[in-house]
Amino acid sequence: MYYPVKKFKNIFYRMTVLTLALLLSANVFAHHVLGRPAYSLNEDSNTPPSMQVETQIGKYFVTYMIFPAFPKPGEKGRINIYASRIDSGDTLASPITFLVRNDGWFVDKTEEVLGTQDVYDGVYRQGFVFKQNGSYIITAKFEADGEPYSIDFPLQIGESTSMLPIGVALGSIVLVLVAVNIVQRKRLMREKIQDTRNDA
Amino acid sequence: MTMTHPGLPELWGYLVWGFMLVFGLWSLMAGTPHELQRRTLNLEAFCLTRPLVQFFTRSLWPLWLLKLVVVILFLLVIVAGLYGSPIAERNLATVLTWNIWWAGLIVSVFFLGSAWCAVCPWDTLAGWMVRPRLWFARINNSLDLKVPRYLRSVWPALLMFIGLTWLELGVGVTTSPYATALLSLLMVVLATLSMALFRNRAFCRYICPVGRTVGFYSQLAPVELRPIDADVCAACTTLECYNGSDKVDPCPTQLVMGSLTQNTYCTSCGNCVRSCPQQNVSWRLRPPSHEAVADARPHWDEAWFMLGLLALTAFHGLTMMPFWEQWMSAFAQQIGDSGQLLVSFSVGLFISLLLPVLLYALTIFVLRHLNGRQVGFRSLFTGMVFITLPLAFVYHIAHNLNHLVREGVGLVEVFMNPLGSGFAPLSMAEKHQRHFDMLISQDALFVIQGLLMMFGFWLAIKVLRHRGQRLLPQAGWRMLPVLVFIIAVNGFHLWLLMQPMVMRM
Repeated sequence: MYYPVKKFKNIFYRMTVLTLALLLSANVFAHHVLGRPAYSLNEDSNTPPSMQVETQIGKYFVTYMIFPAFPKPGEKGRINIYASRIDSGDTLASPITFLVRNDGWFVDKTEEVLGTQDVYDGVYRQGFVFKQNGSYIITAKFEADGEPYSIDFPLQIGESTSMLPIGVALGSIVLVLVAVNIVQRKRLMREKIQDTRNDA
Repeated sequence: MTMTHPGLPELWGYLVWGFMLVFGLWSLMAGTPHELQRRTLNLEAFCLTRPLVQFFTRSLWPLWLLKLVVVILFLLVIVAGLYGSPIAERNLATVLTWNIWWAGLIVSVFFLGSAWCAVCPWDTLAGWMVRPRLWFARINNSLDLKVPRYLRSVWPALLMFIGLTWLELGVGVTTSPYATALLSLLMVVLATLSMALFRNRAFCRYICPVGRTVGFYSQLAPVELRPIDADVCAACTTLECYNGSDKVDPCPTQLVMGSLTQNTYCTSCGNCVRSCPQQNVSWRLRPPSHEAVADARPHWDEAWFMLGLLALTAFHGLTMMPFWEQWMSAFAQQIGDSGQLLVSFSVGLFISLLLPVLLYALTIFVLRHLNGRQVGFRSLFTGMVFITLPLAFVYHIAHNLNHLVREGVGLVEVFMNPLGSGFAPLSMAEKHQRHFDMLISQDALFVIQGLLMMFGFWLAIKVLRHRGQRLLPQAGWRMLPVLVFIIAVNGFHLWLLMQPMVMRM
């Protein structure tokens, strides 16, 4: 779901330096576990909850927020993206293009452009309205230091249909039990034939 | 903003360290340990405990009822996970599975041994589907194949445990109700598949990471299922405990009661109690250290499992330290990892598994050389590995108590609304409230954690003295490398406990 866009050079040297640095590092502040969705209320508790994913890519920390956390079809929603350099904390300045594709099973996965947004007050804001329920992937693309960056985030519109896991689990169990039953019957038949031959 | 739980106070750190140093030095200077006295207490011999023990062991329906309750809860977890709110702290699936069950399971071993295995819903559901016992007949949908030789070890369980840890901490199953439900379904499918192919409960014995973890820790449990009179078992020719009877299934993990010396593979199902025609099997109390000290027999695969337990318990603690994410983030930058940083996490997991194993292997290597290479490396490696069991067990309990006591407070709320429908995420005020709303007082928790660390150290020293005496009778001070290993591991665990711990949900 997430695309690594990194250089991979001099890894052993870097790992050694890093290990030493880690061993000597002091305690620092905690924050959300990277890359996992977290749900929280906004500062103004009258607003609905938001979903937030923090991640890092290349030289940037990226925070992605969805308002509201559980958007419904036909409902206006908004994506906020905050991107800042890991080393200096400087905010990203280049524009971000937002694309969307359907992440469901057996559907057209063609990407559509939602829009391209410039940073305003440190935030990239992209509005959306979806007509149908479904699981979607939002891709945020930007360029920094001459390198292309591309990050995928999940977006669920409406209720997810969750019959698939139960169907797969039950289906596989039934399949195994039926297969075992067939083998057992064959075994019995073979034994019967063997017994008949022995009797003869 | 992420909340953290306060760590064990400094005073407790000094106390435990003082205890470790004084007791450790004593163990080096003390003479040969006394012969272990086997004192056990048959729970059916006392009028107070007899009715309760007989109620649960002689008849099938109390256990069946318990199984039914657990299965209903398990199915509720699946439904809540698949159809409920994705907010982890509002959904029964995540709260019940990770804050209560997973955290409480290890604590339960301290009192009840492997009792969980007797009511495990994965095995119960698999049993109901593959070998249902109906009112008119017994149906067997299993091929009853022999388990292949290469699978007859705890290596599959160790791999599963590593995989579970990866899913739990790396992928973040603990914070996703949906993923929790998927994992639950997967375990049922695996248990069913295994039962449909192999005879008895191959899944429980060789594959289940939870069952084996509980099994190994049960070596330190104060209860055991054993024969009342060993002579009766010695004279038995029918072995109903192993073969089963018309009405009772055979031992699911193929144990013969007469030769049972360790709890590791006992699932506490009580089949042996019900099937024995002489009524010669019963629950009894025992000192918690006997099995690890003397009775348990060393095996190569089991040694690795115990080392795996040690490494993975410490790893669990490590990943909940506030600095872990900074480490991962810095490492990810170096290797070019992005997104959920799974590559970085996997490397961290691998290093965390490797370090304790290397440290232990080095300890055994030095021990062997100090003692003139009288005993083979493999024998020492498997013989001394039991010292790791109490160290892992007490840290695991102390760590899990943090989750259970500090994060288990929202249980009533999620039972009232298992799917979390309409609930918003916890507000900061609620998070703070939960922070103070503990099941027991914080001071009581610290006392328990501190005492547990001392208890684990004491057990490890006891194992060292007795097993060391048997393997290297003349060793004396030359046991120092193992003592240093015990102090280092327990000291590291203590340090982890003293750090603030990130609140899971």
